[in-house]
Amino acid sequence: MNVAEFRADLRRWLDTNDLSPGLDDSLDAQVAQLARVRRALYGAGWMRYGWPAGVRGLGGPAVLRAVLGEEVATRGLAEPGIYSMVEVLAPTMISYARPELAAEMVPRLLGGREQWCQGFSEPGSGSDLASLTTRAVPRDDGDWVVTGQKVWTSLAQYAARCVLLTRTAPGHAGITAFFVDMDTPGITVRPLRTMHGVDEFAEVFLDEVVVPGDRMLGRPGDGWQLAMDLLPHERSTCFWHRIAHLYTRLDHLLEQTPAPDSARDDDALGAAFLALHTVRCRSHATQRRLAEGGRLGPETSVDKILLATAEQQLFDTVRDLLPGVLELTETPWRSEYLYSRAATIYGGTAEIQRNIVARRLLDLGRE
Amino acid sequence: MDATERDLLADTLRKTMATATGPALDSALTELGWADLLAEAPEVAVPLVFRLLGETGAHASLLNDVVLHEAGRPLEGALPLPYTGGSWVVWGRGVDAPPGASLDGELPLLISPAGEPVPLGAGRRALGWWLLGTGRAMLALARTHVLARTQFGRPLASFQAVRHRLAETLVALDGAEATLAAAEDDLGALLAKAAAGQAALTAARHCQQVLGGIGFTAEHDLHQHVRRALVLDGLLGSARELTREAGALVREGRSAPRLVQL
Repeated sequence: MNVAEFRADLRRWLDTNDLSPGLDDSLDAQVAQLARVRRALYGAGWMRYGWPAGVRGLGGPAVLRAVLGEEVATRGLAEPGIYSMVEVLAPTMISYARPELAAEMVPRLLGGREQWCQGFSEPGSGSDLASLTTRAVPRDDGDWVVTGQKVWTSLAQYAARCVLLTRTAPGHAGITAFFVDMDTPGITVRPLRTMHGVDEFAEVFLDEVVVPGDRMLGRPGDGWQLAMDLLPHERSTCFWHRIAHLYTRLDHLLEQTPAPDSARDDDALGAAFLALHTVRCRSHATQRRLAEGGRLGPETSVDKILLATAEQQLFDTVRDLLPGVLELTETPWRSEYLYSRAATIYGGTAEIQRNIVARRLLDLGRE
Repeated sequence: MDATERDLLADTLRKTMATATGPALDSALTELGWADLLAEAPEVAVPLVFRLLGETGAHASLLNDVVLHEAGRPLEGALPLPYTGGSWVVWGRGVDAPPGASLDGELPLLISPAGEPVPLGAGRRALGWWLLGTGRAMLALARTHVLARTQFGRPLASFQAVRHRLAETLVALDGAEATLAAAEDDLGALLAKAAAGQAALTAARHCQQVLGGIGFTAEHDLHQHVRRALVLDGLLGSARELTREAGALVREGRSAPRLVQL
């Protein structure tokens, strides 16, 4: 199915099948809405395009998933951050899980029957992810025993499963990934309060958690490669969704901006628009490269820097052009502004991205 | 034009621009068939030629041709072009720069009386590619310097503060290139010229800084590129003016156009 046809059919379907969220914007409601949207889109087939038949997908190019996510974001049907999580979780399963396991599990995720989370960061391992210390020890019967702690794990309190990175040997080659059921004895989840009031991430404590050997993703030591392989997915489809979402926020600001006080307001609006347009053009080129079979690598750090910068610039502009609104009134802008502060931290900090650009793209040698 | 032909053309252009500039380059490009290229394959010729002008530091009066071509007029003479701040300039053909006329001592730009309105999209795209090439030239000079220059017993390139400045420069240039490659209509051209101007000025600031004292001397090539970036940014609208114009446009339209689609 070609992209234009897919988009036109999808729009027609969405026009007649109202999936708009209710008024409750609590996290519980957002997660429930996400499940509702996925169920409906999966049931009608939309959510299955761009995924391989091995996980009961309907095939077609991956770009169809970007088109679907753009429509979802543009219509405000689901919060784009949590909507996009499938874009890293499902490809990881398809690449690394046993085919039977992927076939059994991925449809539950895509179809909105389950939420999953990603257990990567630890209290002592943020930017330096490869230093993680959550241990997995093999037992004689082939199962593994996992002990340690994860943190900043998005949606852990709602998740049925977790893609978990553990240490099985020293160094980058000693990281091993597992697909863990979150109801396994020994797992405790404690949601974290966040600055922006949406408590989307949690601490996850693992105390002698027994994981069957056939839940290993790939082989022992494949964990680091798995983490690296999911970056291109995050930085193509997820970014396209997020950019679409940010355009809707800019539109919303434009609807609310009174006649400008000064040309400076137009400067700020123009700069915010230009930054968004720039990252959209860049992301478009990345999508096209992926579609032509190109492998994505360190150059996607450029996309990441452009996106994080554009996002913060947009919400800085909101604060400047709607003076007092964030501070004195209870509107979604407040939470969105605060959340935008994290854009240069999650998914690899602004500093790590610049290190990668300097080392890998500019070839400046070691620090 | 296939990829091989394009590479061949790029090689020829690069060699030509390495040995000729100004009126001599105008003549050389005429012999190479610039007018036919512009008529038959502007989507290839303009990005290639203008980016190479920036990268090599050469200059030619081709902007006249690009604007005349878009206006559907014969490729003759030089027409008044709007400059930032409400000024107009003429890019002289076949003449050397009069001393002290512009900040870039090499470009034959002269202030002129206001002219007729001219179509701006193609000219802005062309200048955007030129600014991008100028930015890439500055980044290349800075990169070479920080790898070679040693202080405190190690290369400048090993200092994170220096690395991050150059990373910032590359991000700005790559972002601008994406907008240029996607610029199809007038708004796309306006935004691309703004992004390219801004990126070239970002490159000038960061590259000048990491080049330190040597970059401030006339014997180093950097200053030529800095001057060019400053002067070209103002032609057909500066990054600052165009950004403001884009802001007014989306404010009045109450919506931000999504110019590229999957």
